Amino acid sequence: MLLREVGYARPGSLGEAIELLVADDGARALAGGQTLINVMKARASSPDTLIDLSRIEELKGIDLDADGTLRIGAMATYTEILESSEARARPILGDVCAQIADVQVRNRGTIGGNICTNDPTNHLPPLLVALDAQMTIHGAGGERTVSATDFFLGVYMTAVGQGELLTAITVPAGRADGFAAVTLGVEGTCIVSAAASVNGGVRIALGCVDAVPVLLEPATADADAVRAAVRDANLDPPSDVHASSEYRSHLAEVLAVRALDSASENRVSEKRS
Amino acid sequence: MTTTTIAPAQVEVEAPAEQYKGQNVPRKEDRRLVQGQGVFVDDVKRHGMGYIHFVRSPYAHAHISSIDVSKAEEIGGVYGTLTGEEVAVLTDPFFQISSVPGANLKDFALAVGKVRYVGEAIVAVVAETRELARDASELVEIEYEPITPITDARQALATDAPSIHEDAGGNLMWEGTYEWGDLDAAFAEADKIVKIDELHFHRFNSTPLETNGALVEYNRGTGQWTIHTNNQFPGFAAIMMGPAMRTGLDKLRFVTQDIGGGFGNKITSHPQLVACCLLARKLGRAVQWTEWRTDFHSSMSHGNERWFQDTEVAVKNDGTLLGFRTKALDDAGAWLRYEPLGGVIWAQVTPGMYRWRHIRLEFTQVATNKAPVSPNRGYSRMQHLWFTERIIDIVAQELELDPVEIRKRNYIRTEEMPYETPNGCVYDSGDYAKMLDLGLDLIGWDEREARRAEAASRGKLLGVGIGSTLDSGTNNFGQSRMINPELQFSGNNEVATVKLDIFGEIVVTLGTTPQGQGHETTAAQVVADILKCSWEDVHVRAGHDSYWNSHAGFSGTYASQFAVTGLSAVKGATDMLAAEIKKLASAVFGGVPEEALELAEGTVRIKDNPDAALPFMACGAIINANNAGLPEDLGVTLNCRYVYRPPFEVPDVEKKFGNLTLTYAAQVHVAVVEVDPETGYYDIVDYAAVDDCGKRINPQIVEGQVMGATAQALGAVVHEQFVYDEDGNLLTPNFYDYHVPHALDMPPLKTGNIESPSPFTALGTKGMGEGGGAGIHAVCAAVQDALRAHGGAIVADSANPYHKVWDMLRHPEETKKLVSVVDA
Amino acid sequence: MEAGTVSSARSISVTINGTTYEREVEARKLLVHFIRDDLDLTGSHIGCDTGNCGACSVIVDGTLVKSCMMLAVQADGSTVETVEGLADGEELSKLQQAFSSHHALQCGYCTPGMLMSATALLRSNPKPSEDEIKKGLQGNICRCTGYWNIFAAVKAASSE
Repeated sequence: MLLREVGYARPGSLGEAIELLVADDGARALAGGQTLINVMKARASSPDTLIDLSRIEELKGIDLDADGTLRIGAMATYTEILESSEARARPILGDVCAQIADVQVRNRGTIGGNICTNDPTNHLPPLLVALDAQMTIHGAGGERTVSATDFFLGVYMTAVGQGELLTAITVPAGRADGFAAVTLGVEGTCIVSAAASVNGGVRIALGCVDAVPVLLEPATADADAVRAAVRDANLDPPSDVHASSEYRSHLAEVLAVRALDSASENRVSEKRS
Repeated sequence: MTTTTIAPAQVEVEAPAEQYKGQNVPRKEDRRLVQGQGVFVDDVKRHGMGYIHFVRSPYAHAHISSIDVSKAEEIGGVYGTLTGEEVAVLTDPFFQISSVPGANLKDFALAVGKVRYVGEAIVAVVAETRELARDASELVEIEYEPITPITDARQALATDAPSIHEDAGGNLMWEGTYEWGDLDAAFAEADKIVKIDELHFHRFNSTPLETNGALVEYNRGTGQWTIHTNNQFPGFAAIMMGPAMRTGLDKLRFVTQDIGGGFGNKITSHPQLVACCLLARKLGRAVQWTEWRTDFHSSMSHGNERWFQDTEVAVKNDGTLLGFRTKALDDAGAWLRYEPLGGVIWAQVTPGMYRWRHIRLEFTQVATNKAPVSPNRGYSRMQHLWFTERIIDIVAQELELDPVEIRKRNYIRTEEMPYETPNGCVYDSGDYAKMLDLGLDLIGWDEREARRAEAASRGKLLGVGIGSTLDSGTNNFGQSRMINPELQFSGNNEVATVKLDIFGEIVVTLGTTPQGQGHETTAAQVVADILKCSWEDVHVRAGHDSYWNSHAGFSGTYASQFAVTGLSAVKGATDMLAAEIKKLASAVFGGVPEEALELAEGTVRIKDNPDAALPFMACGAIINANNAGLPEDLGVTLNCRYVYRPPFEVPDVEKKFGNLTLTYAAQVHVAVVEVDPETGYYDIVDYAAVDDCGKRINPQIVEGQVMGATAQALGAVVHEQFVYDEDGNLLTPNFYDYHVPHALDMPPLKTGNIESPSPFTALGTKGMGEGGGAGIHAVCAAVQDALRAHGGAIVADSANPYHKVWDMLRHPEETKKLVSVVDA
Repeated sequence: MEAGTVSSARSISVTINGTTYEREVEARKLLVHFIRDDLDLTGSHIGCDTGNCGACSVIVDGTLVKSCMMLAVQADGSTVETVEGLADGEELSKLQQAFSSHHALQCGYCTPGMLMSATALLRSNPKPSEDEIKKGLQGNICRCTGYWNIFAAVKAASSE
């Protein structure tokens, strides 16, 4: 409950932040703090320095381009996303953000923090994989883009390297998306989650079943094909106090179908409107 | 879209309503609490105080080979440390309630030589700031030699099981056999015997939002400790701490004010309080301890985990239950702190709510390498009442009997009250069948099959279940002698002092330690009704302070008793005061007989001549400051202290027979669940809670606790579990993994009530507050009902998270095989 | 001190319930400990170690947050509202009054955080449905009441 001694800086620009991260490999970005502060309370991890990103304008904002591309700043909070009219261009984003934890957490937690933490039970990594989002990463060497599929590398590990920062997440407009989860209590931590998208081909991403979201691309949206795709993924999910490996594998099949059904329904309603 | 409807049934009123009794008077406590002006223990500060951090064991079972605190003590701002070695020199082991072998445990404030559960406190570090104490504790070096831990009570008595307490010669802590009636005759008379191999009541507790804590000061000149704490049973803490610390009890002053929930989980903090006392004396400064949430979960107050094995039930074909025999295996965790009292307290409700007369229960309590068990809301009765309710539903399912009919056939009947149970307890009053009807009506029992079909059309399995339970209140501590005949405890008591001050202020001092039960409010209601004054003019001191000398050996707030013990003490003291006021007025009025006087509107006056009135202020002034000329033998102090003592005898220890509790509140709940057969996930879609707590002084305060107990029970049956891995690590040590109900989890709630006054209490009240876990019983029954046409699994565990329901759907045979029916 | 400089302690200025406090704090100090220990505003409570219970909820720059998941240094220059600021002198707020009349508190430990969450809810949604009330209070654990009376209290306060 009590942090170890730590240094703190609150840079005003992206450049400054990168400089600070490059200068000290014990430095860690502080986004909303809804995970990192708890980790530090438990002393499971104790960075030397916290680089508070809250004053960096370049990381904020939700913009909708003319071609329908949604660009979300990494420091956009869950509340900002679910209240944003621009973000309604991809409604599933706000719908899922609204299910995360509670109002207090949503007011400070950020999309960037959520995906850079890459806790296997987090909602947004599988969602963004299903949506085939693009992540923009800034470092000393400049800017690069990584697709969601390549972004998540392991538990708590992403493509954002030392001295780099995730700055934005880009997602095309669309409505044919779905999300289904079994959680620990209503809107609690995910036990298993599934995100699906049928804009074009079928993409289903499973959460909580592996170190990183598991992407499935079945040939059709047919329930049997989806279940077969889950089984063919040869999942070996973790067992813990909330679920056995077997239960998680089973839920993965059920939720993949439900997420996809939801996505298909949303596509139909899109066609109507 | 959810809606909650509160639908109280009509209260049966047999006498004209008095002014405040029975009214929802707004609580006196609220004004300070809604402004954040409550004083909870972490709010109390002293100049120069040191903050304590306990270094705790990472092993479930290990010898301690060495402890080195030198590096921690070198840090500037660290005031000092305390180790088990010092504690073993400065104190004697805590008194053990148990007879042999549990009696041989050597329990100290810190681990001595060995650690026996993950989270056990080994060293205390005290520093200038919280952070520094925490930092310095990382520099304490402890070397361990791990031993194989025992995490399953069913393995604790195996011949090759490692011994957790060598002093006890093994892991058996206490055992006793209870038998009443004629089992052989009952089983001979039975048509069928239903056998249930194993039922399991799981480990959880009530996780009050405020954890344990204390701020302790030591007065070197007088040898007096002042312990600001949130311990809810200072009487018990004192008798544990005094002898251990080799000090008289009056040197231990307990002070509480606001306590953030107790539910029994704040009774056994005495080891930590001793550590605080020793440190306050050693370091010459006040020391402060606030328990971390993780430490609370891993080291304090788990509820009894209990297995019921080899149960056999004697039944007639028409569903009449004649009796049962069973073996209860109780997992006490690593230390006996309030245990093994759990080994007898269940017997307050031996037959549950049912009329069977032939009962045998073999109780075995063992130690395991888990957190020590202590009272938890519904202490030891909840486990037993869950067991009797499971029997009813399992027997009903096996013999294809209606769950309502079998209950009504077997419920103790209202006309049989007061009812003496097979072991001599007396259920004071109640009408269980009527409560059941109310509950069934509230959730639309008659429409259940239509509802079931509608749910099925949406792919859901609907289930309806009944959970009936008792909340026995006001213990006879003589039952402790059934655990250990050498113990010198019996009866019960509570104290109240009511005085009229110099300016006519009415001041009430309680012996209790309320944690939200509204004692200041209900006490004021009782006083105002007797003194016939305004409730607002009654000032009830907040909290508890030993220095007020308004407490006795059993004082505290636990075990569902305030409405009986506390309020009876208040009534006694106020009656005394009222009599003294009249006696004084009689003298002042020149000898007017006391029968001619009455109390009204804050005065004492002559009935036939109301203008001849002495306001309370005048009475107070006369006695306190203007007493010349009063009769020599007047004997009036206007400061009345009353000790309430419930009418108990010492039970017959050999026959294990006698009245163990004075009052029996009851609850009947009905739950409606919808199970998703694809995932095992389930929702509670409708819920009715019907209670009978006797006469209710403040109905809102009673209902509030009924609702709170319901919510805790629902949390326990679906999510809350203290689960250990095989190394003895607690897998649910915080609110992240130990999910308690949040707002969105709450089902719609319908409530009803009846009032069956207790014939045994001054106000007709019954103790209440614990609830008896009706929600657990009801949801278990509902889940079993939902699964009945889909495999027919038996619910054999009180913990039913989604994955277990899924297992029951897939492998119903796993639980069905636990049950068999044979012809008698 | 320049914002971009790294330091393990700094001077901060925080306005709480209308009063501005200037203090030197370690960077590691949690906002809730700053409020309770440094400023003696003990109305906000601590009930857990993992940011789950909400007893520490306060409003920072108009936004409801859990003060155990913010550092005090992050509140430098901010305006904070705690339970101590809800009443207007002797007059309780509508919510505080409703909590009492609906028996929405028993031990009172969760109550300050619950009131701050309810206050924030009614500011953004003056007439919430029962589901919206539940959602607004989802981050606040209560173990005494079972929440039902709390929902009723917020509903009642919202319709005045």
